[in-house]
Amino acid sequence: MLPVQKFAALGAFIGLFLAGSVAAADNPPADTAAQKALAKDAVCTTCHNESWRVPILSLYQTKHGNRADPKAPNCQSCHGQSTGHQQDPAGVHPEVVFGVKSKNVSSAEDRNGTCLGCHKTGLRMHWSGSEHESRDVSCSNCHTVHIANDPVLSKATQPEVCYACHKTQRAQTHRISTHPILAGKMACSDCHNPHGSTGPKLLVKNSVNETCYTCHAEKRGPFLWEHSPVVDDCTNCHTPHGSTNAPLLKARVPWLCQECHSGDHGAAINSGANLLNGNATTINGMLPPANQSPRTQTNARACLNCHVLIHGSNHPAGAKFQR
Amino acid sequence: MKTKNDSFAVRALVVAVRAGLIALAAMSAAQAAESDDAARQLTQPTSVVEVGAGYVSQDSFKFGEYNGLFKQGLYGIFNFDVRGGGSYDSGDATRWRATGTDLGLDTRDVSAEYEQQGKFRVNFDYDELRRNRSDTYQTPYLGAGSDTLTLPSNWLKPIVPQVSGTAINFRALSPTTGLASAIVGGVVTRPTAAQQTTVNNIIAADLPDFNNVDLDTIRKTIKGGFSYSIDSRWEFKASAQHEKKEGLKPMGAVSSQVSEYATILVDPIDQTTDQYNASLTYTGENSFMQVAYYGSVFKNDISSLTWQDANDPTKTATLSSAPSNSFHQILLTGGYNFSPTTKLVVNGSYGRNTQNEAFVTNGQNNQFPLGLPASSLDGLVVTTAFNAKLTAKPIKDLSLVAGYKYDDRDNRTPVNTYFFQDANETKAASASAFNAALGLPANTLGSNIDIYANRPYSKKVNQFDVDADYAVAKGQRLQGGYEYQQIDRECNGSWINCADAPRTRESTLRAEWRANVVENLSGRVAYAYSERRVNYDENAFLSLVPMANVVPAGGATVSAYQYLLQTGLTGFGPVAGFPSSPLSGNAAIFSPSNNMLPQALYASRNNINEEVGMRRFNMADRNRNKVRGSVNWDASDNVSLQGSLDYNKDDYNNSIYGLKNAESLALNLEGNYSITSDFAAQAFYSHEDFQSQGAGISYGSNSNTAFVGQAGNTIVSGGCFSSVLDKNSNAKIDPCLNWSTDMRDKVDTLGAGFKYKNLMGGRLDVTGDLVYTYARTDVGVAGGSYANNPFALASPAPALAPGVPAVFFIPAANMPTATTKTIDLRLGGQYAIDRVSSVRVLYWYQHLRSNDYVYDGMQFGTLTNVIPTNEQPFNYNVHVIGVSYIYSWR
Repeated sequence: MLPVQKFAALGAFIGLFLAGSVAAADNPPADTAAQKALAKDAVCTTCHNESWRVPILSLYQTKHGNRADPKAPNCQSCHGQSTGHQQDPAGVHPEVVFGVKSKNVSSAEDRNGTCLGCHKTGLRMHWSGSEHESRDVSCSNCHTVHIANDPVLSKATQPEVCYACHKTQRAQTHRISTHPILAGKMACSDCHNPHGSTGPKLLVKNSVNETCYTCHAEKRGPFLWEHSPVVDDCTNCHTPHGSTNAPLLKARVPWLCQECHSGDHGAAINSGANLLNGNATTINGMLPPANQSPRTQTNARACLNCHVLIHGSNHPAGAKFQR
Repeated sequence: MKTKNDSFAVRALVVAVRAGLIALAAMSAAQAAESDDAARQLTQPTSVVEVGAGYVSQDSFKFGEYNGLFKQGLYGIFNFDVRGGGSYDSGDATRWRATGTDLGLDTRDVSAEYEQQGKFRVNFDYDELRRNRSDTYQTPYLGAGSDTLTLPSNWLKPIVPQVSGTAINFRALSPTTGLASAIVGGVVTRPTAAQQTTVNNIIAADLPDFNNVDLDTIRKTIKGGFSYSIDSRWEFKASAQHEKKEGLKPMGAVSSQVSEYATILVDPIDQTTDQYNASLTYTGENSFMQVAYYGSVFKNDISSLTWQDANDPTKTATLSSAPSNSFHQILLTGGYNFSPTTKLVVNGSYGRNTQNEAFVTNGQNNQFPLGLPASSLDGLVVTTAFNAKLTAKPIKDLSLVAGYKYDDRDNRTPVNTYFFQDANETKAASASAFNAALGLPANTLGSNIDIYANRPYSKKVNQFDVDADYAVAKGQRLQGGYEYQQIDRECNGSWINCADAPRTRESTLRAEWRANVVENLSGRVAYAYSERRVNYDENAFLSLVPMANVVPAGGATVSAYQYLLQTGLTGFGPVAGFPSSPLSGNAAIFSPSNNMLPQALYASRNNINEEVGMRRFNMADRNRNKVRGSVNWDASDNVSLQGSLDYNKDDYNNSIYGLKNAESLALNLEGNYSITSDFAAQAFYSHEDFQSQGAGISYGSNSNTAFVGQAGNTIVSGGCFSSVLDKNSNAKIDPCLNWSTDMRDKVDTLGAGFKYKNLMGGRLDVTGDLVYTYARTDVGVAGGSYANNPFALASPAPALAPGVPAVFFIPAANMPTATTKTIDLRLGGQYAIDRVSSVRVLYWYQHLRSNDYVYDGMQFGTLTNVIPTNEQPFNYNVHVIGVSYIYSWR
């Protein structure tokens, strides 16, 4: 499909939405259920109205505020009946207070229990006992439900929410070798499920490798010649959030390779003396220049000058990852 | 979105769609006048269209690595976010939304969704992601982007004739190194006129052949999804994603083992990955259940890459590309609440990963003398996982979590034996030691044949953990936990264990104290200690070479493997010097002169064993200490301060060689300040220091050779031995050949930012962010290596003068520090002209200064046996400005 055709198709798609919307606009159905729900909300919105210091009515722009959906909550579904607060607004706070900056904030357990009353499945199936749950992180630490666009649900703004706690990862995204997180093309939740998962480090899949293969399926194989640390765990060599050693390597080559390989030419020392114009000085003077041959494994791409199919090779003669 | 009171917004939208953005702008004043109701402003979503232009001050592939802004000049700003559907207070649960971002760039994204909330939802997304790699890469090869690369017809093989008249030598591509003096017959000699002409002709012919090829890839992804609530308990979801990745990447490869040089090729990328998800979920009062499917099908439209040999253009070489493969997985998850605080969640999955791409078979020089055992791999990996987690709160202040994890990667790929010659290498004149044992006519296989069996690695993880969390006092919780992990590794069908550590066991004890004892001050301190213990098998490498289990010709009475078992040695042989008396029998054959197992006796072209004491770090004994601490102080309603410290230390306490220890420290400080809800400022500092130490020994082969070149050349300068004989006799155990590395990455990141809203009577919002990063990578190396005096040559070269060393010990030197400095400044402002129109301006400055020695070896005239690419380190100062008009409506 040509790009023009793609955009034409998209335009038609959006057009259908608009047409449906217009038709609905001309015939707004009366709905007593929605009005009843709003009447329940009015217990709260009478005071917490458009003049309230926090724009809570923005909730009505969100899924929670869709009063035509019978599953959508009203104010008291989440904040509790709060009869004490109704009778003494200044003296008694609502039963469940979500604002993490509030002095009256409810316990993480109470806040989460409220949300999980409806949101127990989907991405949250493994919440119970997860890293975040066991450290008192609550839904409202990350989600802001009373505004139209919850920042944690947008790829461009989500990382800032996560960086509130994960500050080392924020710094790592500013390094010379990174994933496109700063560019807004990749979010933390592309790899992690903060609500709990079956994988390590809250990864979205069962293992590190399964997670990486969702974008890097070309490295999945299985290859004829497997490189054992690759199939073992991508993070044996790579660090995902950012590195000073491209491409996202934990350490520089060739020394990263030499952490496992000490045979044949992998045994040799690689030092500044093996660089171009390296310290080839002997105690008796310089070696003549024409005889300097900078060591290939120390320079440029180091081991990867030759062994480039390092994630595995499917060539019958590729056992050394050169084919 | 419409309301029962006023459907003007929708009517305006319809008109806008019909008449376009200009018409929308013209109507903005009318719409602003229509409603100033504050509640309506809060309850109705805002739709937005943004149109504008920006300017990028200079070309920079790196600045535009992921953001599409890599070209100097103007670019278009076009974003939209349009919403509609029923009003919150209506009976219509319909909602829809269409968004587009960066439509003028190669990073564009368009999405749309439509739902009847509570019933069904459909969504669509189109996304592009360009990734730039290099715009300074050069190559002499023609055909970039295709699967066949050819050299220009005028290509001359680079040689430095005064060094060698035949060996390929890419130093010829620079007059500085190509015309340098060489030692000829023991005398420093300038190149002859004829040699200079040869080099000049090579430079004149080849250098113009190097042309720039931009290396970048682009991913174009289309996604679609659907969800349907069958009733209040059952929900069905399905989604599909199609991704096309195209472009060019650099790829190194050995053109020829004979001439021993590497070529950095243009690797064409033309791949698709299709992914599918489907799930059916049941949500009950006290239970839930989900059955799901995940599928991933990877297809590579390029199966191989063939290129001409720069050493001998009559030959070609071929590289295999990543093979097409697929993965299909079924997942079952269920949860049951025995009580409000006692919950069990279990999950199981079964997946099949297959790969059966036809093998690349076009090798040179009878590369596969016996053909291939199969035309494709018929690869199969079965993944099985099971997880169970039980959480309980038996008493008020105590929480318990117990978990079990099983994760099995069972590689059932058939094991076969492959006979091949290394890259473009011809059969050696001497015969393989295994022709007779294989029932082959004498000399069918040469001694340099590789007889390898594939090793399909399997890995099985069993993990159990239990944690208890107890409220020791008001605002204080103490957590303690224990985890045991056992990993079993093996290769199905391998003739011998393939894993260096067939089983690793790791136990972890952890404790954490969390406190909020003082109002507005909270913190935590955590400590974890892990011990991993393994049974390391230093002869697992033999699983690659099945001939190690076959008695070789030549007088041996046992196979190499049997010899190692009998002697208790590894493939490295005895850790000893030259034997005082000649070895005999199997010892003379399998560990001659106390050296390592000869390659030919296990049918390998390279030594594939490791040093005695080398432990691959991912399966080595390890003690791990982790300390975490953080504090959060809300100093006032306006000021909050946070600090955290992470420290990790890994000791690979039984690794003599390889990674020996690693240590990391991360310090983070952050302050936030807000005067009002309109103003917020933030500053942070992060420091990360990662160090690791490794070790090796650049052992040689023991010999009793007493001189270099000729009999009088016997003196060694430096090192651990003063004579060539002593040095050679102890080549395998020379302590001066021990080396160690000390790698260190230190990175400081400093940032500050602010947001100020509702200036100028609520019309102006401004933002600013500045981040400075300074990264340093140091590699300290201790040890050294021996180099022969280049004047120590065989006769007729003159003998070295008395007292002149024949060998020098060259001490190691630290690597130059690689540094990166970046400054990233972003300023933005949005001014509201009226209630529906605003103008946004942005200014973005990014500076990057990098200094990395790895680029030195990519330049012309540098490495002898790697084709240069002339790639340059990244350095830039880029300014971006943008102005856009935003129209919004409700």
